[in-house]
Parts: sequence; structure tokens; C-alpha cells
Amino acid sequence: MGKVRLDESRHREMAAGLEVSLRRLAPFLTIACLLLLWQWISSRGIISHILVPPPADVYQAFIDSLADGTLLKHTVITLEEMLYGLLLGVGIGLAIGYAIAKAPILENILSPVIVAFQSTPIVAYAPLLVIWFGSGIASKIVTTAVIVFFPTLVNTIVGIRSVSPNLRDLMRSLKAGRWQIFRHLEAPSALPVILAGLKTSTTLAVIGAVVGEFVSQGSGLGYLVTSARNLYDTPLVVVAVLAMTAISLTLYGIVAYVEWRFLVWQRRASA
Amino acid sequence: MMNLVRLMIVAAIWLGLAVSAQDELVDERILLTFIPNVQFAPFYVGVEDGYFADAGFNVSLAHLQEPEVLDLVAVGQANFGIVSGEQVILARSRGRDVVYVFEWFQKYPVGLVYSSALDLSDLANLQDMAIGIPGRFGASYSGLTTLLGSAGLSEADIDLREIGFNAPEVFCLGVIDAAIVYVNNEPLQINNLAADGDCGSVREVDVITVASQVDLVSNGLIVSRAYLEENPDAVARMVGGLAGALRSVIDNPAGAYLASLAHVDSLPADEALLKALESAAEEQVDFLASDPDRGDIARSRRRLAAELAERFDRAALTQLNVLLNTIELWDAENIGYSDLSSWEAMRDTLDSMGFLEDDAGSLQDAFSNRFVTGADW
Amino acid sequence: MTLSLRELSVSFRDPAGGALPALGPISFEVAEQQFVCVVGPTGCGKSTLIRVLAGLLPPSSGAALCDGEAIDRPMRQFAIMFQDANLMPWRTVLDNIALPLEIAGVSRPTRYEVVRALLPQLHLESFELAYPAALSGGMEQRVALGRVLVQQPKVVLLDEPFGALDALTRENLGRLLLRLRRRYVQTIVMVTHDINEAALLADRVIVMSRGPGRLVADVSVDLPRPRRHDMIYHQAFLKLTKRIRASIDDLSA
Repeated sequence: MGKVRLDESRHREMAAGLEVSLRRLAPFLTIACLLLLWQWISSRGIISHILVPPPADVYQAFIDSLADGTLLKHTVITLEEMLYGLLLGVGIGLAIGYAIAKAPILENILSPVIVAFQSTPIVAYAPLLVIWFGSGIASKIVTTAVIVFFPTLVNTIVGIRSVSPNLRDLMRSLKAGRWQIFRHLEAPSALPVILAGLKTSTTLAVIGAVVGEFVSQGSGLGYLVTSARNLYDTPLVVVAVLAMTAISLTLYGIVAYVEWRFLVWQRRASA
Repeated sequence: MMNLVRLMIVAAIWLGLAVSAQDELVDERILLTFIPNVQFAPFYVGVEDGYFADAGFNVSLAHLQEPEVLDLVAVGQANFGIVSGEQVILARSRGRDVVYVFEWFQKYPVGLVYSSALDLSDLANLQDMAIGIPGRFGASYSGLTTLLGSAGLSEADIDLREIGFNAPEVFCLGVIDAAIVYVNNEPLQINNLAADGDCGSVREVDVITVASQVDLVSNGLIVSRAYLEENPDAVARMVGGLAGALRSVIDNPAGAYLASLAHVDSLPADEALLKALESAAEEQVDFLASDPDRGDIARSRRRLAAELAERFDRAALTQLNVLLNTIELWDAENIGYSDLSSWEAMRDTLDSMGFLEDDAGSLQDAFSNRFVTGADW
Repeated sequence: MTLSLRELSVSFRDPAGGALPALGPISFEVAEQQFVCVVGPTGCGKSTLIRVLAGLLPPSSGAALCDGEAIDRPMRQFAIMFQDANLMPWRTVLDNIALPLEIAGVSRPTRYEVVRALLPQLHLESFELAYPAALSGGMEQRVALGRVLVQQPKVVLLDEPFGALDALTRENLGRLLLRLRRRYVQTIVMVTHDINEAALLADRVIVMSRGPGRLVADVSVDLPRPRRHDMIYHQAFLKLTKRIRASIDDLSA
């Protein structure tokens, strides 16, 4: 009897373990299936190689562009634009967001400008940014900053405003100063929401940088797409696009890791 | 008020339908580049004045980037497209088997615009100058490379700045000494800015065209080889229709401007200008009936420009002047015809830019004049 | 430290701009080291009273004094405990209790030492590194109590601290509170809506009326200390709670 039950529970455990590993594997299986489908479509000639280059060609283009340094060069440039843009946009977003959360009158003053900026598609006014800030790295940094600014701003406002009023009372009753309230209450309390905003921002940052590069040609992955396109090198276009995906996923992953690392208490709570 | 031109349009369409062997017109989409603009007037005239219908086609127009135009034609998503010759060479080197069957621009449209105060009588003076260019791609880049090559210079000898399609603004800010532009368009805009005193210290600009140095193959009509081999007749008819429309624009620019209004949203056309153009178009029809030669017609165009300049301000005439400038790039005795030497010159340019890593293949296969000779009546 | 309320009243502003009286006028004194419980129906302004004493809310008229000095800001040597434990979810038990010391600028080793000495009395010694999300309601309130005690306050203000807990946990916490009080004798003002709890813990029970809250009864509790939970079955206790009960019932009558 007891033995049977033991076997049963072990069986259940194994089944549960299998389910977990299947779920872990699922994304990779999806990618593998897509690759197979891609290979199959191009080997059967269902869609012309001109439109969808076969995986082997893309792999070759990847190896070639890696070997001659083009891919790395443009990836580094795009990354640089994104990081400066993130720094600028997130920095300003945090500062203005905090100010608005603390002084609601600022919201009334600033919201027309902010909402107007946000509701206008960046691609529409990116050319203006290029005229204003030049065709160098500055215009791409600004494009990126503009696009990442808003999610940071909104999440900062939400994060700071959602700080528990009871905890504010507690801090006051402990005679905490302004800086102490910020450091011990507001910052840690708003951090989860701000990090969630930062995750959105990092994926948007790629868009910002690439839009900038499309408008003002010169360098970066957006430029690599255009120039490869103009040389009818479709495999290289695919390589550049995949590099953007990789950058975006990597940055997202870094923020997710920071979140995982710093928000131990949330993890414990959900466990 | 029904005017004579419109009457003739209707008559032409009617006549076209009547003589056409098959009553049903075949739907065809011609892929163009850039955006709707008066520079595409031959296509608007082809549609509006029945040249395509006469050829048996019901044509619609779409605008895409050059590489997209070429790829869609190469894979048969569209049968006809307009791209520049260099795109044909580049794409053919990467497995797109397209054939260039009609050279629309007889002169390469790119050139260098610079302040008249500069002395560029010798192109070698470009050494160390800051030169703006949309980017290191396309016709502008090929044009620049050719210009530098003919001066014995290379890109390393100048300060090349990528400025996007913002040459007038950037040039007038004084950041660059000269800019690579489309000679039919930006010089006009810059001159307008300069005349208004909005172009820094620049009062007037001059242009050195690439065409004045080297004959490079330029924009034209492409089809895929597969389509060409299966439908040589359709290709011949399309080339014929386009040639007719192009000749009509060259002969009667006022009429072409009017035909373009239906296709280009922002074309200036107030009542007075419309009236002036309508009467000019009518007069031109009479004038053409007197069987003038090319020179006479060219003079008639200059007369038109001068007359209108007296009655209207510059801004209202900018687009018409762009059209007149562009016509100079189209007009030739044998329109549609492209020279092997102009293809070779383009190939050499691309080669020197390092764009042709693969074998460019035989240039003879890249183009064909066989539809042009018969079509140019 | 003694506390005194002099004709204290608080009113809030309603959306239309009028005044909404919430408390008072009310006057009473709390003697040094006295444990006073304030009872009354919901909406009688008990929590408002605590917030005024804590210096978090200025009175509209009258005054709250501490040793004769007006309370117009959070006072030194006052500690407050709220209805919910009000812990910082990102801090461990150790760091939550140590928060007041950290804000006062006590160095990390010292404050950990102080807190670790306190943990066994709160039965929290094995939860030092736990986060609040992992704690039960009663444990959370013990942490909150710890956070009050590290301040070594002279005055403790308790705003229905056990209100959200089940009956047994409340009893346990009440016992703990009394035991700790014996060790760290302080002046205590505690708001509760539980008459038994009030009578069992306090030296004196103040009954307040509903909106705006006024003092309607001031009952001194002369039960012997130490108090034990089974006292609630004693005649004297029953008489006492009946009296308190009656003064509340008079209100609603």
C-alpha cells in the first residue's frame, strides 16, 4: 500500500518535472520549428530566394560580416546610440516624473507638451530631429531618448504616487528627512514599476536608434539594413535585423536580471 | 468650361479604345520611386491622355524605394518598374534577372551644386572641400564617385558629409561648401532661398552635372527576363506608350503640368495659373501642328518659362520650373535608347566604389534597345 | 511624559469647501506611564485623535500638549503603531525593525545588535531574514511592535493595532504588549473597538461618541496587575465592561 503511494507520488513528481522542462524547452522548439519551416520554404522554392533568402545564405552573410568587422562595427554604434539615448531619456524621465509626482501642478503645466510628443509617431518627426541635431550621433541619441522618455516618465509618476501613505506617515513620525524618505521609501517602493518601465524602454530604444539611422544614413544597424538593401544583399539585411533583435533581447534580459537580483522580496512573495 | 486639351484627351482615349484590337484593357501597375511629383509627368500624361490605354493597358502607379521596385519586378509581383541603371547592374550581380528596355532620363540627373562665388572651373579644386550627400548609396553616390574620378580625386580627398535629403537647408546653413543633388530640383530651391536672402552669404549657385563629364546610364523602364520572353509584344506596346507620353510632355509641358494635377497633391495651381497654363497648352497644340523641330520646341519651352515668370511669383512656378528643368534631361533625338558605353561607365563607377564584389555579368544582357527603335515614331 | 488635550477639535474640508467636523472638542489628560484605551463606534474620530497626538495632523482648534508643550510636529520619543503592520515589503524583518535606528543614523552593526537582542522577546528570532510577504498577520504586527520598541519611546500611540487579526492572535499580542510594557514602562494611548481588550489592557478607558467624537465616559480600570486573560470571567471585569458598554449604548439610543 505504502509502496504504491510512494510510486504514485514519485510518478507525479516526475510528471511535474517533465512539464517544467517542457515549458522551458518550448521557446527553443518554436525557434527550431520556424527555422525548419524557413529552410523548407526556401529549399522548395515556394517563395523566391530574392524575397526570402535561405538560412544557409543568411548564415554565410553572418559569418562574412562578422569576419570583415562590418557587423560588429555597426552593432557597437547602434548600441552606443541606444545606451546614451537610454541614459538621457531615462534620466530626464525619472527627474521629471519624480517632480510631477511630488508637485501635481507640474502635470497640468507639462502634460500638453508631453502628451503631444507622445501621441506623435516618432518616424514622422525624426527628420526634424536630424535637421535640428545634425546627422551625427546626437540626432540618434535624441530620437532614442524621446522614445524611451515617456514610459519612464509614466512609470515613475505611477511608482512614486503609489507609495503607501501610511508608510509616508511612518517616515514622518520617525522624523525622516526628505532625502531619507526618498532613499528608504520612495525609491525602493517605486523601483518595481520603474524597472518594468525600463524593460519597455530598452526594447523601444532599438526602435529609436534605428529610426534615427534610417533618416540620417551613415552607420549603425539601421544603416546596414539600408545599404545592404541598396546592394541587393538580402541575407545581410536579415543578419542586421536579427542583430537588432539580439540587442533588444540582451538589454531586456539585463534589466530582467537586475529586476530578479534586486527585487528578491517580490520573488519571495510570489513563491 | 471644356477646353480644347480636355476635348483632345477624351477624343484620344475614345479613338484609342476604338482602334485597339482587344476591347479589354489589361491592368498593369508601374512601380515608380520617390513620391508623387511633377517629375513623373510622363506617367501622368500616359494615364490621363490615353497613351497607355492606346497601348492596351489600364495603368495604375505606385511609389516604392528603388530596391523594392526592382525586387518586385524581378519576382513577377509587378511587370514594369522604373529604376536607375546602376540598380540594374547591382541587382543583376546578385541574381535578379531584369532587363532595362527604355532609357527615360537621357542625361544623368545628378550634379554638384555650389556657390557661384567658388571657382570650380577645375574640378580638382574640390580637394578638401566639405561636400554634402544624401548618403553613401544610390545615384548621388555613384554620381559623386564619377565626378571625383573625372577630376582625378577620390573620396579621401574631400570631406564627405551624409546629410540625408536636406541639401537646401544644410547648404544654406553654410556647413558644407557644395552638395550632390538632383540637378533639376535642389539648385532651383537653393536659388529661391538665396534670392530671398535665406541662404547665408550665398547669392547664387552654379551646377556641374555629372552628365557634362561622363555619360552614365540613368533611370529607365525595367521588366523581368521571364516576362520579356513570354510577352515581348506587351513590352513593345508599353515602351511605345511611354515613349509617346514622354514626347508629349517634352512638346507640351503646360499640358503635362495640368495632367499631373490629378496625381500630385501639393502642386501649386491657383485659378490664374490654371488659366494661363490652359491657354498655353492650347496655343502649344496649334504650334505643334506647324511641325516644328526639336530646337523650335525647346525655344517654345523657354518662352513659356519667361512669360510665366513675368506674371507669377517664383514660389508658384517652382514645380513647373522643376518640370522644365527635368525635360532638358529627357529630351533627345532618340528617346528611350541607351548606349553600351554609358552602361560600361556606370559599371566602372560601381566597381571603383567596391559595390561589385560578384561578377557583374554581361552588360549586353542588362539592357535592350530593340523595343525603342521601332517605337520612336 | 504626560499628555493633555485641551478643547481639541479637528474638522476636514468637504469637496464643496465646507467644514466636516471629525473630532471634538475634547479634553482629557493622560498621566505619566498611564495606559489609556480609547473606545467608540466607527467614525468617532479615534484614528484622528491618534494622528493629532502623533503630530501628523494639526488640530483645527484647541491643542494637544506633551509635558505642556504643543504637539505641532512628530515628537521625539513618540512611537506609533498603525492598524496594518505597515512594513516595508522590500526589507527583511531585521531591517524593518531597524528602520528607526537607521534613520536616526545608528551604524549598521550597532542597530543589528540592538534588534537581535529584541527578537526573542517578539518570538521572531528565526525570522530575521524573512520578508514581510512570508509572515502571518500576527507576526507582522510583532515586527511592527518591535519597530516601536527599538525607538525606546516614552509615549506609544497604538491605532487599532490588532484590529485586523483573529481573536486568538489578538489575545497573544495583548499578552505580549503587557509583558513588554512591564519591561519598558511607557505612557500608552491605544485606540480599539474591542471593549474586552480595552478593559483587560488599560488603566483607564475613554469612551467617545460618534461624529464629531466627544468624550462621553471616562472609566478607570482598577483590576489588579499583572492581568491574566481569565480575568474576563471575573465579576469585577464583567461589571466594568457592562458600564463601558452601557455608555456606548446610550449613544446609539
